[in-house]
Amino acid sequence: MEPALARYGVRVIALSKDTVQEAARHQARDRLRVLLLADPELTVIRQYGLEHHKAFGFDKASFRVLGIPIGLRPSFTTMAIPTSLLIDEEGVIRWIDQPDDYRLRADEDRVMQAVRAAFEPS
Amino acid sequence: MDVIAIGLSIAGLAMTLGAWVVYLGSINRGTVPVYPTGSLIAQSISMVLAVVAIAWSVTGGHGPTVAVLVPSILALSLGASFVWLIGQRKTPIGELKVAVGDRLLPFGATTSGGAAFHTDSLAGERTLLKFYRGAW
Repeated sequence: MEPALARYGVRVIALSKDTVQEAARHQARDRLRVLLLADPELTVIRQYGLEHHKAFGFDKASFRVLGIPIGLRPSFTTMAIPTSLLIDEEGVIRWIDQPDDYRLRADEDRVMQAVRAAFEPS
Repeated sequence: MDVIAIGLSIAGLAMTLGAWVVYLGSINRGTVPVYPTGSLIAQSISMVLAVVAIAWSVTGGHGPTVAVLVPSILALSLGASFVWLIGQRKTPIGELKVAVGDRLLPFGATTSGGAAFHTDSLAGERTLLKFYRGAW
């Protein structure tokens, strides 16, 4: 999706409760080209009201076999509620997406529809 | 050795592992199904195979052996875990402090490269800011 967003001059920034080291590992492992921000104290997450108390998650995987993360320890922990904010050049929020299923992300069509609505001249 | 019971338990374990691999692969590709019907069916079948394997070896008169119990218990655990996880998928909406039309709330954070970041640097830029749960 990044190339399509880049055509509209939209930069992607992603923030989570991961530490700097965990974010760096994630960036390298998945070859991410977006800017990852670390918020391990959940300061920004709480500032935006996006704290999911006692969310079910896993500790970081030790390694993977056939794509299955191995060494995971399930736990209930606090993390961000997955949410996307589209922000214009003046810092104004033009679109918000917050799926009610944490497994799903806003698909490319919906994101680009919002980008076109916000940034194409009407 | 009860070959049928062992075969059933291994089949159940293979099916649940295969279903997990397929589902986790969809996460990596960003193609997670909204309703993972196929995965749920596969996990259910794997749990049934595990139960049938144990029942078969019990009714055989010798009781379930380790060769039956281990794969069966693994299949039941992995299958039940998947079903339970899918049941946990609904996310609370939370108390979002901003709405469309509001200005971005300024904040500072640290990048994955260890550099300081502040939203002041976004002035004049269009941004898609994504809050996510974190990496596995």
